[in-house]
Amino acid sequence: MNTNGTAENVHEQIVALLPRLRRFARNLTRNPHDADDVLQIALERALLKLDQWHRDARLDSWMFKIVRNAWIDELRSRGRRDLIFTGAEAGDHVGDASLDREVELMSVQSAMGRLPEEQRTAVSLVLVEGLPYKEAAEVLGIPIGTLTSRLARGRDALQAMLAPPQGTAHEHP
Amino acid sequence: MNIPDETLMAYADGELDSAARTEVEAAMHDDPQVAQRVAQHRELRARLQQEFAVELTEVVPERLLAAVRTPIPAAGSKIVDLEEARSAMAPRSWRTRSYKLSWLPVSMAASILVGVGAGFLVWRHSDSIIIQNAGDRLVASGSLARGLSNQLAGDRAPASAVEIGFSFVAKSGDYCRTFTIADAAGSGGVACRRGERWEIRVLTQPGSVGARGSEYRTASSTLSPAIVTAVEELISGEPLDRTGEIAARKRAWQAAGR
Repeated sequence: MNTNGTAENVHEQIVALLPRLRRFARNLTRNPHDADDVLQIALERALLKLDQWHRDARLDSWMFKIVRNAWIDELRSRGRRDLIFTGAEAGDHVGDASLDREVELMSVQSAMGRLPEEQRTAVSLVLVEGLPYKEAAEVLGIPIGTLTSRLARGRDALQAMLAPPQGTAHEHP
Repeated sequence: MNIPDETLMAYADGELDSAARTEVEAAMHDDPQVAQRVAQHRELRARLQQEFAVELTEVVPERLLAAVRTPIPAAGSKIVDLEEARSAMAPRSWRTRSYKLSWLPVSMAASILVGVGAGFLVWRHSDSIIIQNAGDRLVASGSLARGLSNQLAGDRAPASAVEIGFSFVAKSGDYCRTFTIADAAGSGGVACRRGERWEIRVLTQPGSVGARGSEYRTASSTLSPAIVTAVEELISGEPLDRTGEIAARKRAWQAAGR
């Protein structure tokens, strides 16, 4: 249970996490406005159940999970529209990516945006936010093997989208 | 060497134990393709970290900072849920007075909460504090406060938990608004703007007003008789129309002539 002293401390720790939480929310929602709205809801929820956070657990993982749950709730209330679109669109793009010349110029951000939600969250947590696999799997509520395979598929798709055309892929200045 | 790509990836991410690491390193040494694959995994990781690092330098909006820093009740008090709040309030002296605070009413009349005295109380909705105690009265917070300040009657923002029934000017000159809380059938109340706060004047218990024909229907929402009665007592003139609401919102719901 939290005491007043540590509670205050935790609030400031959450404030310090805000830039990362925002970044994660953006990767999750792919829309900065949605990201801030969802983050705000998540912050309110987190403060209400601060006593459920165990001090030996990572605060960032705990917060990421709350942000993601808030986003899932939001999508549900929107009738799953976005989830369905994400899957279909991203699948198409990923398939074409290695053949398409224009992908050469694709930014990392837009390549991320084209990943299916499952892969995007895995990549975002592990590669962008730097969580260990175990932590990321816990945030997403999936077995570590599932996380690893989503991460591997996400990586492959990103590499396909970001890599220069065949033949120059190994050259580095 | 036949090492699965996922293992090479895990190596690049620093996820392998020392035995597995040794094995991968031996394979990298023997097979340039393995070494190259590990390098690709590392590069991608480094590139993502670098490209996304810029977002960490952005200024965090005030409303997010406020979400963390402001909803904390005064020092010494705790955020509690309704059940806890009720038991915590039990020993208080006001309870022996005529206030009858019943959140789980058996009758419609008992579902009204008016004139709550001192004591700490918080109402949660969907894990968010929407009503909390501020000294001697209940005020809206979180999504309820935002909805009261920003939403027009009948409009419901996608992420909002609140629907505004209508707005009116009270005899005191204050702006008041009826509201219902989404996903909590029949719960709602009347809030009036005093200074920077939305004070809760009447609150009905979630679930106390079922779909049993015991409610009045208005154009956009369902109002319990308790709320209707309270509005009738408070209201001066007619409810605001949309133009009136927009004008009131523009002045941040500050009472006219003050």
